[in-house]
Amino acid sequence: MTATATGPLLEVRDLHMTFGGIRAVQGISFQVAEGETLGLIGPNGAGKTTVFNMIMAELKPTSGEIWFKGENITRVPTYERVKRGIARTYQVPQPFAEMSVGANIRVGMAPDDIWKLVSEGADHAAEADIGRSVGFSGEQIDMLPSELAMGDLRRLEMARNVAVSPRLLLLDEVFAGLTLREIGQISELLVEKKRKDGLTYIIVSHDLRALAPLVDRVIVMSFGEVIAEGTFDDVVRDEAVRDAYLGQ
Amino acid sequence: MAIDRETLRYLGWWLAFGVLMCLLPFVVGTGTLRILIFAHFLAMFAMSWDFLSGRTGYISFGHPFLIGIAGYTTAILSFRFDVPIYYSIPAAIVATMVGGTLFFLPALRIRGTYFALVTLAFMEILYQLTKVVAPKITGGTRGISGLEAIVTGAVNNYYLSFGIMFAIGVVLWLLIRTRLGIALSAIRMNEEAVRSTGHNTTKLKLFAFTVSAAVSGIGGAFYVHYIGSIAPRGMFEINFLFTILVAALLGGAETIIGPIMGAYFLTVLLEYLRPVMPGMERYLLYGGIALVLYVVRPEGIYSIIVDAGRKVQEWRR
Repeated sequence: MTATATGPLLEVRDLHMTFGGIRAVQGISFQVAEGETLGLIGPNGAGKTTVFNMIMAELKPTSGEIWFKGENITRVPTYERVKRGIARTYQVPQPFAEMSVGANIRVGMAPDDIWKLVSEGADHAAEADIGRSVGFSGEQIDMLPSELAMGDLRRLEMARNVAVSPRLLLLDEVFAGLTLREIGQISELLVEKKRKDGLTYIIVSHDLRALAPLVDRVIVMSFGEVIAEGTFDDVVRDEAVRDAYLGQ
Repeated sequence: MAIDRETLRYLGWWLAFGVLMCLLPFVVGTGTLRILIFAHFLAMFAMSWDFLSGRTGYISFGHPFLIGIAGYTTAILSFRFDVPIYYSIPAAIVATMVGGTLFFLPALRIRGTYFALVTLAFMEILYQLTKVVAPKITGGTRGISGLEAIVTGAVNNYYLSFGIMFAIGVVLWLLIRTRLGIALSAIRMNEEAVRSTGHNTTKLKLFAFTVSAAVSGIGGAFYVHYIGSIAPRGMFEINFLFTILVAALLGGAETIIGPIMGAYFLTVLLEYLRPVMPGMERYLLYGGIALVLYVVRPEGIYSIIVDAGRKVQEWRR
């Protein structure tokens, strides 16, 4: 899928990230069009999560630019990027551990306005709706994260992200630690959300079999650089990609 | 603010507590009232600590710094410059809120143990400053005594201190029941995740710090006018800091009601131990009791009472 006439939804331009002497990301550039699903793959330590962290402003790039909806957001803080429509999940789910599923969603739905936080009550019906939309049962809404299976924790992160009404969702190792059944359920959920809400995804995953049916295009990273880009079938046949994954 | 049935039920309990405490002077003597006045001030300080540290997880070891700003501001303005206390007390509260923003600056970069130690340093710095900078104004190591009283007599002071503590308690308790309370708790659990749900955590933390400072300011200003004096050793003593922390934790952090219970428990315990243990060994015993309670029930006294209430309800069914 190509960029729309109005330009790409997200554009990353020559992004670099250096930690001390380690060059974790070395001049990454790519675009994501509205409604597209991009796979970001590569061996461990390739720099995929670092790219996510920079897109979310959780890390400040050493150099390079990030554009969203035609706006340079390189200096925009995380919470403002979320308001503009970018959200993410984490490799290890990060729920608010002492809060129920419903309360976790409530945090996502809460406005970034102290007066409104105080004066307006929670919309429990809307919380339950969001919970149901990602597959939670009525009972699970009152459960604590410690009572949930890994698949449900991934759903919880999805629910919290859905609550902030994103346009672009960054999914980091979204299939990690899941059973085959759970992978199927999460995949269905992603397809459903994309169909209903027109979400755009960038998915980082080591599970290429689960990733394949979801993505329109794949970028392969190794040692902080893009080594291949194209359709899933093209990149898995690419010699450089095979070398990066399997060694020569 | 949306008030649901559960909030209304709890407000009923608050009302019952208020009525009961207002009737107390008709039942107990002035000696007990004077003990309870100290409990009310301790409760204000513990609630202030709880609103900041219990909620956001930014553990403050420097609350006496905030209380000291309020105490010294009103003491200096009223005693040295003859400013009426009706002006010096509000000025002290505003000064403490400004001090709260100073307190907030380290929270932009650090948290956990490092933040706690920096706040402790704030307290120590103010302790040293009050001793050496302009001692003619601060009174140096001896402090200032002979401060004007707001009201006189045990009963009047009891009602005044209880009224202020009660009002602060209800307001803070209502605040933590809103979505603001949930957002502040979420900061304690995972600040990064709060940011990634579109919240400016700096703004939320600044609000918590300012409210906490305001409460410390109110408590500190009224406290020094009640005891009539202020001195660096009493104000910035580590025992004072620990008493605030223990009251909040023993009562039940993150609940607002817990710190009030903890303050009553601690003050009454310490005062009633005084005849049998007049020396510092009292603190050893109270430390032991606090330790046992905290190990057995880390959620605090409040949770014991809530559980007991639940069991009574089940038994009645």
